[in-house]
Amino acid sequence: MTVRKTSLMLSALALGLATQPLLAQDQQPLTFYGVKSLSGAFASYGKYAEMGSRLAVEEARETLGRDIEYVSLDTEGNAGRAIRKVQEAINQDGGRLFNGATLSSTALAVGKEVAGVEGVFMTPAGADELTGSECNASTFRWSVPTYGAIRETLVPLIEALPEAKRFYTITPEYVFGEALLDNAKAVFEEYGVEHVGNSYHSLQEQEFSGYLTNAMSAAPDVLVLLNFGSQSSNALRQARNFGLNEQMDILMVWSAGLDQFEELGAANVDGIYFGAQYWHEVDTPFNQQLVASVREAYDITPTYPLAADYTMTRVMLEVADASGASEGPTLIEALEGYTYQGPTGEETIRASDHQVIKDYYLLKGKAEGEMEDPDDYADVISAGRSFVTPEDSPCQL
Amino acid sequence: MMTKTLDTAAANPGRRRFKGRLGAGTTLAMLAVMVLLPLVLPSATLATEILIFAMAALACNLLLGFTGLLSFGQAIFFGAGAYISALAMIHLDAGLIGALLIAVVAGCVLALGVGMLCIRRKGIYFVMLTLALTQMAYFLAYTLSDWTGGDNGLLDVPRPPLAVGETTLISFASPLAFYALVATLFALIYVVARRITDSPFGSTLLAIRENEQRASALGYDTRLFKIMVFVLSGGITALAGALYGMLLNFVPLSNIELLMSEQILIMTIIGGTGSLFGSLLGAGAIVLLGDLLSSIWPRWMLLLGVALIAVVIFMRGGLWGGLSSLLERRRGNHAEPHKEASHD
Repeated sequence: MTVRKTSLMLSALALGLATQPLLAQDQQPLTFYGVKSLSGAFASYGKYAEMGSRLAVEEARETLGRDIEYVSLDTEGNAGRAIRKVQEAINQDGGRLFNGATLSSTALAVGKEVAGVEGVFMTPAGADELTGSECNASTFRWSVPTYGAIRETLVPLIEALPEAKRFYTITPEYVFGEALLDNAKAVFEEYGVEHVGNSYHSLQEQEFSGYLTNAMSAAPDVLVLLNFGSQSSNALRQARNFGLNEQMDILMVWSAGLDQFEELGAANVDGIYFGAQYWHEVDTPFNQQLVASVREAYDITPTYPLAADYTMTRVMLEVADASGASEGPTLIEALEGYTYQGPTGEETIRASDHQVIKDYYLLKGKAEGEMEDPDDYADVISAGRSFVTPEDSPCQL
Repeated sequence: MMTKTLDTAAANPGRRRFKGRLGAGTTLAMLAVMVLLPLVLPSATLATEILIFAMAALACNLLLGFTGLLSFGQAIFFGAGAYISALAMIHLDAGLIGALLIAVVAGCVLALGVGMLCIRRKGIYFVMLTLALTQMAYFLAYTLSDWTGGDNGLLDVPRPPLAVGETTLISFASPLAFYALVATLFALIYVVARRITDSPFGSTLLAIRENEQRASALGYDTRLFKIMVFVLSGGITALAGALYGMLLNFVPLSNIELLMSEQILIMTIIGGTGSLFGSLLGAGAIVLLGDLLSSIWPRWMLLLGVALIAVVIFMRGGLWGGLSSLLERRRGNHAEPHKEASHD
């Protein structure tokens, strides 16, 4: 396994110890809100995200010795409901510390609401606008945007497959899909590989045979799936049914990680390349501790939503406690430029746009016979970080 | 059927007097509920959401309860009202009144077009046309992402004050102040809708609902009446959409999707078709049930389905039908519980 940042070995525990001298400064109860999809269409994601936040809060109560109240706000998979509940938390209860929101639309709108009262909101949502054109002083984002996801999957794949010169893309036709496609085209051009075609599909599409037939007829060396969630799972299953995996390599740029692999099964994952924000086998002190804690608390292996919301919650609580502020410019200032040991190694919150600078992974699925344990679905082929430079970012805070 | 309905009331003066008192009573009850809502609920924001959806359900009721038109097109007007008013405020600096008026006019114009097209067919074909148009509207909003924000939604929607020139008369920044605005508009719409449904126009709508051929044979231009009620319903629904955008400071794409039409229809049916007050009960029940059930079980929509089945089978007049039957029984009148159109 090649992980570029493995040389950075400061433990997560050390971070907790380092902040200890500041803990006693402010013993006011800290109220923290988790904006999670606990019911509705995205409940399966929200369930793990909630588990992550709750675990981080439980741990923080012990390590920080602080009275922390955790309140879940169920988005019901509906952006409108989510905003109303966040407004209630702000206006009725004086809430200022929020994290979560799976849907980009929810995250963008929650960020605006929280910014209106100078609170803090940290999200793992995917939309580039969060730390791009719609950025604001209160919104922080943990996940890698489309630029990094594309570069950290396509570039290592092009380098690993020097014979592969023809790439075909399947893209959901909306803002997020377009962003992935634009970044992919830039990489194709930069590395001199041919983009032999693209098929757009709607956000409600679940049947991909027509798009896969088009891909087959273009005879690419690599099929790049730029969709995500159930659409990418269905596209991959159907591609395997058509035998495309025997004719070409397949890359799913934006996978959900372990829970998606469990849903697909090893037979569908074998030999396929995946991009991932988080992988439980990454060898970092924080991740080792996270995997151990999650197995002890829930008897499962951490998935991406669990790891993302655990990390965001922990970072926010630790910084709030260390800085003695739970809201406002003081806390925002403390978060800006903050470096900590996260699940992907050393992670830094960039001050210019509030984007967390962290690794993105290229994984390759294993055959069932090669799996060392039931969750050992893939190997990490490469890891790295690519982000639009502050000068080129549309966000200037 | 129409004459039977009217004759039944005419032949039973006691029942007619009761219904008259009930009608006046519901207006007072509605006003009392509006005053109490922000006091008994956890927040004024929740109360505002209930009234906004009650407004949309009331508009849907004019179509379904009073005219017998099952329309899945309400999301078109709700979404269009939200988008158009928001765009008017963002790009044209429209004030509160201007934005709301633009939304209402846009809703009426759209409803005119949708109505003229859809009422050319009846029954299942009418329903299918409204479904198809809602899907088209959704994809239009999805495609015009430069204007609507696409899947990310339209952000930074203002909630302007009531102002004259540069002078602010009333700010609606606080949740309670905005609730007061929505409650005032809802009360106005409720009173106007009651006047309309109690008028000969309303009686004609009922006649169309009960037997369109007979109404037509009596000389009524049923097509014109249906278009008129469509326009009325579209304008009110668009106003609700505009207020929802102001409440959230945001217009999600879900405002214009089929699920929104379904939600409005479910509120209407659970509250009671043909009952304006029932619209408030239906919206309140669904919004509050959603809040309550979602905290108990992630698949709470299933429970909502069970509630809908229970209402359709055991309480055909919806919550309002059940409530008014109860009131009627309490005063010793054991007449058959009225069915759908209660006129409150």
